[in-house]
Amino acid sequence: MARLARLIILVVVTLIPCLPVQGEIRFPPPEFESGYEFPQTVSPMPQPAFQEYIDAAVLFAGLLLASHLILKRRSRRAIFVLMIGALLYFGFLREGCICPIGAIQNMTLTVFDSNYAIPIAAVVFFVVPLIFTLFNGRVFCGAICPLGAIQDAVLIRPVAVPRWLESGLRLFAYAYLGAAILFAATGSAFVICRYDPFVGFFRMGGNWNILIFGASLLLIGLFIGRPYCRFLCPYGVILRNLSRLAKRRVTITPGECIQCRLCEDACPFGAIREPTGNWPEGEYRIAKRRLALFLLLLPVLVAAGVWSGHAVRNPLARVHPRVRTAERIYLEEAGKVQGTTNISDAFRATGQSTEVLYEEATKIRSQFGLGGALLGGFIGLVGAGKLIALSVRRRRTEYEADPAGCFACGRCYKSCPKEHERLRKRQEGVGRCA
Amino acid sequence: MTQEAGQRQMWHRAARTTAIVGGVFTVVFTLLLFANFLGTAVLGPAREKKLENMKFQFQKDPTQETLLSEVRQLDLKIRQDRLWRLDFSRKAAHLLLASVVVLLAAGKIANDMGKECFVPPPRADRGERQVAEAKRARWAVVGGLAVLVAGLLLLGMSGGVEFAQAQEEGPAFASMEDKRTQWHRFRGPGGAGVSAYTNIPTVWNGKTGENILWKSPVPMPGRNSPVVWKDRVFVAGADSDVRQVYCYDARSGRLLWKGDVPTAPGAPKLEIMEDTGYAACTMATDGRRIYAIFPTGDVAAFDFNGRRLWHKSLGLPDNAYGYASSLETYEKLVIIQYDQGDGSEGKSKVLALDGVTGQVAWEAKRTLPNSWASPIVVEVEGNPQLITLADPNMVAYNPANGTEIWRAECLGGDIAPSPIYAGGLILAIEPYSQLVAVNPTGQGDVTKTHIVWKMEEGAPDICSPVSDGTYVYLLESSDLLICCKVETGEKLYEQQIKGDYRASPSLVGDRLYVLDMKGVMRIIQVGPEFKELGKNELGEECYASPAFAEGRIYIRGTENLYCIGQTQ
Repeated sequence: MARLARLIILVVVTLIPCLPVQGEIRFPPPEFESGYEFPQTVSPMPQPAFQEYIDAAVLFAGLLLASHLILKRRSRRAIFVLMIGALLYFGFLREGCICPIGAIQNMTLTVFDSNYAIPIAAVVFFVVPLIFTLFNGRVFCGAICPLGAIQDAVLIRPVAVPRWLESGLRLFAYAYLGAAILFAATGSAFVICRYDPFVGFFRMGGNWNILIFGASLLLIGLFIGRPYCRFLCPYGVILRNLSRLAKRRVTITPGECIQCRLCEDACPFGAIREPTGNWPEGEYRIAKRRLALFLLLLPVLVAAGVWSGHAVRNPLARVHPRVRTAERIYLEEAGKVQGTTNISDAFRATGQSTEVLYEEATKIRSQFGLGGALLGGFIGLVGAGKLIALSVRRRRTEYEADPAGCFACGRCYKSCPKEHERLRKRQEGVGRCA
Repeated sequence: MTQEAGQRQMWHRAARTTAIVGGVFTVVFTLLLFANFLGTAVLGPAREKKLENMKFQFQKDPTQETLLSEVRQLDLKIRQDRLWRLDFSRKAAHLLLASVVVLLAAGKIANDMGKECFVPPPRADRGERQVAEAKRARWAVVGGLAVLVAGLLLLGMSGGVEFAQAQEEGPAFASMEDKRTQWHRFRGPGGAGVSAYTNIPTVWNGKTGENILWKSPVPMPGRNSPVVWKDRVFVAGADSDVRQVYCYDARSGRLLWKGDVPTAPGAPKLEIMEDTGYAACTMATDGRRIYAIFPTGDVAAFDFNGRRLWHKSLGLPDNAYGYASSLETYEKLVIIQYDQGDGSEGKSKVLALDGVTGQVAWEAKRTLPNSWASPIVVEVEGNPQLITLADPNMVAYNPANGTEIWRAECLGGDIAPSPIYAGGLILAIEPYSQLVAVNPTGQGDVTKTHIVWKMEEGAPDICSPVSDGTYVYLLESSDLLICCKVETGEKLYEQQIKGDYRASPSLVGDRLYVLDMKGVMRIIQVGPEFKELGKNELGEECYASPAFAEGRIYIRGTENLYCIGQTQ
């Protein structure tokens, strides 16, 4: 049965991207000779201004409800229902825009471009989940985020990712966050939105490559819980680090942990930390030396990152449309490429001089020199920081949810015998009262 | 089995069955959508191509009512089909989504209900295991960093354009100074037929190989003349079906590449006079790209490595003897004199295409009939002028934007010889009739004010004139060489020189090079009196005008391309 389901889903998810692309087909109007006048093209009205306030209000209310359901009511079923509701509203109804993940770029551009007027909704969507995370942990990820919800909904047969592998893969989310900030700060592109893997599904159509990317993630998501959230989501990087500081977080058991390890089996995200054991003899001395080595390595890795990031400034700058245009124009003018593109045609139609274009592109590249160095340095710092963190001994006496990695989905306490006991006692209490 | 377990099993079975049904529907809708997609991807383009061809045919002959009706029916069918497919796709996608939801929901329930109780596996010593896991995690972080570094390296290897290099390389075309040292168009710089070099051989023999540096066959026939840019020599060849551009290595004569020039789909076949041929127009280069035009109206640009950059079809020209005007370049524009018909239909025009893109940069319509002369760009008092000839006008344009500067009504008949600029005058030939000199410093209609002189004692029908600024030489296609004074138009001599001539005469220092159809090149002293200095036989028929480079002459025979220079 499971094998058949897997096979069917594999076929479906692979072929889904073939389908909505038809929505992109356009064809020219007919050529009438009878004097027929074409009706005037009417553009759809922009969404009403109050819509963003409604979205912000729904977000706020959703986060309040999620906090209550996750921390107080501790009901996995209620969390799941709320998650599906958020998926329908923020995903399919609001078509995945605006979301806090993309709002990172709006906030960045606000800082670096004084001419950019950020929508209020973008500020609210960026800030409010952060505040809730600081108080209640990752309740946004667990019940409100439509990207997380769609992955959670397709998770059928969870397979555990080895913890060590997860440590390595998580680096990519940091790199993605850094790159997204760099591209937004230079006004190049909102890459998070451009490469949003699920927006094509929410809108029932979109770019072929992105649909394939999204379908692949969903395919992986059948077996590996929330792959985008864990290994790519740039907002998740911010939330996981804020969550470490959270005032309240998900607790697995309402009482004393009996170390049954059922929560470990229930969590599909590898976010349950087991109690620590005693290290073998001699390991402490080695660990101290290792820690010292990594501390010394930190500036080296940062410096290497700075150098590498600076070295690739020109390819990075190609994300900026002005640089891309300049390169294309140069290649065409030098006869190194065949034909023209819409971009080069459009540039020539403006009548601007190529010298000015090259000058602008050179200036943007120099911005990428600094930005690339900072990005490289950031990645080096994160890498070194992770090495250091993995060399420090932590002490735990019972099974607990990872303060950073827990998505607050409520699966762990659903599986906890102590939680079942609590619920039974409560029911009995209610029965007695009745 | 307890009642509870039995009920659970029943629900499990129900969920599993629902999942299977959802799966079946999912597969069915997926296959339907995929088939719909294939239909659009395969059928659509084929029908559209057919429609385009039918439209093209109809444009050629708008009287075909049946064809018009077929075009309309096919157009309607395509539109109906597309709308139907879009509607189908939309509905099926929603049904697919619903099926996937059912499949996922039922699959999740079935999976949860069928899950066996978790029995924690026994584990090794926790401390040792955690130490080993931390070690692996550190290596994973190192691996992640390595992947990121590898990504950066790959990114770095993708290179990039150095805009500073663009500044060094200069603009997308060669300067006028560079062009003056090359033979970049028909009859070289300004179309004057004057060599920039004087160290040109005066003795050779095609039969014995004396001073023949190399000789290479040209794959297809053509009467266009060679164009030379540094170490590259270009000629074109064509027949009724194929049009090609050839690039030779100037040092060895090796054919470096040949490039095909396509024609528009469904274009009618051209029938042309044998004397004109299918490749009469000489190509032109701006030092970065080589441009070719053929009597079918097909224009193309190639880079110097033979890559076709663009192709454009201007439509079959309405031309009595076959289109033969050669190309000119100005900066990165390629200039085409495209005169057609009798002039009353407004088909004639001069246009400039952007050499990089092939797009029309400017176009100047004219009410002049078909002509065969080639346009020239000359510098008059520091400003560029594009000079064109067609019955009855000599017209000057600004080559940068196509605005008319001046015109003089002074010509008649079928204008084939091209103009030259010498001694401050534009010299133009009215075939069989006269040589006209116009001062190009005027504005507007200069017919009454700027025609300096006319020499009305006969003129050539095909060959263009050549001048050193003091004397101008006219070569009639029969056997007459005429010499006049540039300043006054006074005829100094006319001399019969044996042979038939299609190639225009050229000037090297104080020597005139005159090539007849049999491949005999006569060398004549420049001056007020006729004096033949020598003659050299190539041993092959020649129709094209020779091209000159430093120490070399390039001559195109009917079969071969020759390079003549001092052999050691």
